[in-house]
Amino acid sequence: MILDTLGVGLLGTSTEVYHKVKQYSKIYSSDISSTIWGHLDFRLPPLYAAFVNGVAVHSMDFDDTWHPATHPSGAVLPAVIALSEAFPQKKKISGLDLLLAFNVGIEVQGRLLRFSNEARNIPKRFHPPTVVGTIGSAAACAKLLALDRVKCKNTLAIAASYAGAPLANAATQTKPLHIGNAAKHGLEAACLASQDLQGNKQILDMESGMGAFYTDYSPQSLPTLQSYAWLLDQQDVAIKRFPAHLGTHWVADAASSVRRKLVESSDNLLPLDKIEKVIVKVPEVKYVNRPNPNSEHEARHSFQFVACSALLDGSMSVQSFASENIQRPALRELLCKTQLQHPADNKPSFESLYCEVTVGLQDGNTISDRCDTFYGHWRKPLKKEDLEKKFQSNASEVLPAEATEGIIETVYNLEKVKDCSILSMFLSGQSARALSEKLRLL
Amino acid sequence: MILDSIGVGLMGSTTPVFDIALQYCRELYSSVAVSSVYGRPGMKLSPTLAAFTNGVATHSMDFDDTWHPATHPSGAVLPALLAASQMLPPSTKPNGLDFLLAFNVGLEVQGRLMHFSTEAHNIPKRFHPPSVVGTMGSAAATAKLLSLSMTQCAHALGIAASLAGAPMANAATQAKPLHIGNATRLGFEAALLAARGMEANPVILDDIPGCSGFSAFYSVYQPKPLSTPSDHHEFLLEKQDIAFKRFPAHLGMHWVVDAALSVRNLFINYAGSFSPSLIRTIVLKIPVSKYINRPFPSSEHQARHSFQFNACTALLDGEVGLSSFTESSIHRQELRELLDKVVVEHPEDNVANFDKMYGEVALLLHSGDVLTGKCDTFYGHWRKPLSRESLLKKFRSNASHVLPEEKVETIITMVDNLENMSDSSQLACSL
Repeated sequence: MILDTLGVGLLGTSTEVYHKVKQYSKIYSSDISSTIWGHLDFRLPPLYAAFVNGVAVHSMDFDDTWHPATHPSGAVLPAVIALSEAFPQKKKISGLDLLLAFNVGIEVQGRLLRFSNEARNIPKRFHPPTVVGTIGSAAACAKLLALDRVKCKNTLAIAASYAGAPLANAATQTKPLHIGNAAKHGLEAACLASQDLQGNKQILDMESGMGAFYTDYSPQSLPTLQSYAWLLDQQDVAIKRFPAHLGTHWVADAASSVRRKLVESSDNLLPLDKIEKVIVKVPEVKYVNRPNPNSEHEARHSFQFVACSALLDGSMSVQSFASENIQRPALRELLCKTQLQHPADNKPSFESLYCEVTVGLQDGNTISDRCDTFYGHWRKPLKKEDLEKKFQSNASEVLPAEATEGIIETVYNLEKVKDCSILSMFLSGQSARALSEKLRLL
Repeated sequence: MILDSIGVGLMGSTTPVFDIALQYCRELYSSVAVSSVYGRPGMKLSPTLAAFTNGVATHSMDFDDTWHPATHPSGAVLPALLAASQMLPPSTKPNGLDFLLAFNVGLEVQGRLMHFSTEAHNIPKRFHPPSVVGTMGSAAATAKLLSLSMTQCAHALGIAASLAGAPMANAATQAKPLHIGNATRLGFEAALLAARGMEANPVILDDIPGCSGFSAFYSVYQPKPLSTPSDHHEFLLEKQDIAFKRFPAHLGMHWVVDAALSVRNLFINYAGSFSPSLIRTIVLKIPVSKYINRPFPSSEHQARHSFQFNACTALLDGEVGLSSFTESSIHRQELRELLDKVVVEHPEDNVANFDKMYGEVALLLHSGDVLTGKCDTFYGHWRKPLSRESLLKKFRSNASHVLPEEKVETIITMVDNLENMSDSSQLACSL
């Protein structure tokens, strides 16, 4: 999860939304500073580093997804990394400290999501990273700062007052800010609590507390620490293979498979002009139902776009969302022939949804295929090589090879790393050769 | 409103919550420090952090203005405008009229949004209104001051929606003032991001089932189209005035205090002096609102949100003021004894709504006699507004806690003549 998140974040520094928030955040500078992933040329105060790096992570909708639905890592990792560089008296934070804080941040999100049945489905009202992600970031930072029990409670209480952004900004340029802000505000809450700011310590119990974000909030007591089972052990995350909403990954696999069949049955050529209609069976998810997307953000949130794109090209990639590809005539033509259907048994939940793509040809034949579990889903996780391949492909857009190798090595050995600032140094793009002596293991 | 807001903000700069916010901002950010901080002449912070800090100051004691439908309008808008005015280069400083217009835009937007939901008319239960509409108002006001284009203004509101919304449960805690601090700061940030080209959902205010925009914060949301502003545009503020607080506590407290003072007078006439031992029970008739019903508050924040505490303080002291909420005042024995005698009733006709509620205090004496005081409209409510003298008295009392007399008078003069100022950043500089 950590490796994947770093990779997508580095890639995300090439996006327009990233560029805007970077320009904006530069108006703040100070003596204490943290690394901006992919940049040697400037640093930012930890809060804004968390913000900017968080935006980078979610800028292309390429980051991990969990069940119940949220993007867990992006809300937490940028905050803990930024914080690790900003301890007073240059106190060193070990890899194990970082790893533990990270896991706390993930666990808290999972526990909160289980307090509401509504949370099991694809969201409609609040974008989950802004609700549980903010609290997760706050918890992770409180852990890293080693705050006492009372201050940890206040951290969560303060964080709640920053939580919650509506879903309607999904599929717009603002969506990536949801993760950026979750990371930043969680960190801010922990900093304020460490200065003794107090909030409502029962914030997690109350309908007028975290309950404000759900219609069916029902908190439960947690298992005792003696026999504690981490949620991540029981429920893995999904890692995306291309930068778009998770729901479209089922569509891509089904559509690619239909294309293969089509091509086989017609002399290894895609009979585009013979296609009369394309039917895509998906659950009902309003914000991913876009017959005519125009911006990259809209395309990443369009079942129809991904179906047509995968039919045309055979697979999806980062390049599929370049504006030349979004606007190409062959794709627009195919889009006109595409419609969605919402079978009653297709539930809007990342645990159970499926996709069926049917292409109807002029001669009356139809070719269909169905995807129940795409490659990358927690039921069919990416193999280690493919995970690394994704990371390398992303990171090498902005970092030299020694730095990308350095990150992989550091993340794989995180528990043994004495001083995790080495991770930040690699992230900024510093040459590994100069740093190899610094990579001390326990 | 501007004067009162500055006054309570200056007063608020003496609070612990303000100290924390200020300390936090100072430690982390030092450059582009151009915006003034209430009560710290000479100290500057970066604009959005100055807005944050001053916003926290404004709401730190729950002393700032309240509107109907319910929100605290000025604190969410003024700090951002003050900070922004100092941020602009000398050649494009907004004049007083620009400033006033931006301020009014910020208020109007808040009012219009609240009218999109009938739920908003009552005392809130789920989200704290300043964190919802206040953030949008701040975004609108700063977008106006910064002269953003129509498209940029739309995006500013869209971005602001993703920064809005804090739950009620932090009311009556030290974190509540952050709601106003963040509303004004984050709305300002939204405008700055929009100015740099950030885009959001242009129809964020529309009601689209299955994918919530601004409607996420309400269970009943019915947006209505607005007429294009013309020369005859009527600002909501002209039709519905605000309430100013006479003492630093939740607005609901003001009704029971006035009722308590009235029954206290009756009691003194009856018994010659205020003798608590003659009282068997104190009955409070109040609307149902969980977060202001606290029989035994233990912190200043809880005390400011307790019908019981405010009624008893008024009975005991004959007034409620700044010093009523100190640690020693909160914990004094005579007060706890009175609190023990309180029972609370929720008459059906007492609606949890700042336009309709009332407060009634009845003293049931051991002798069997019953004395009652009732207040439908407290002094300071929009139906019975504070006189200019009372407003100035409140401002002077607040501001003189942290500023010398000449500065206090300068601010009064400036605000009185705001429309004629050629450079409105002078107001912020004088704080």
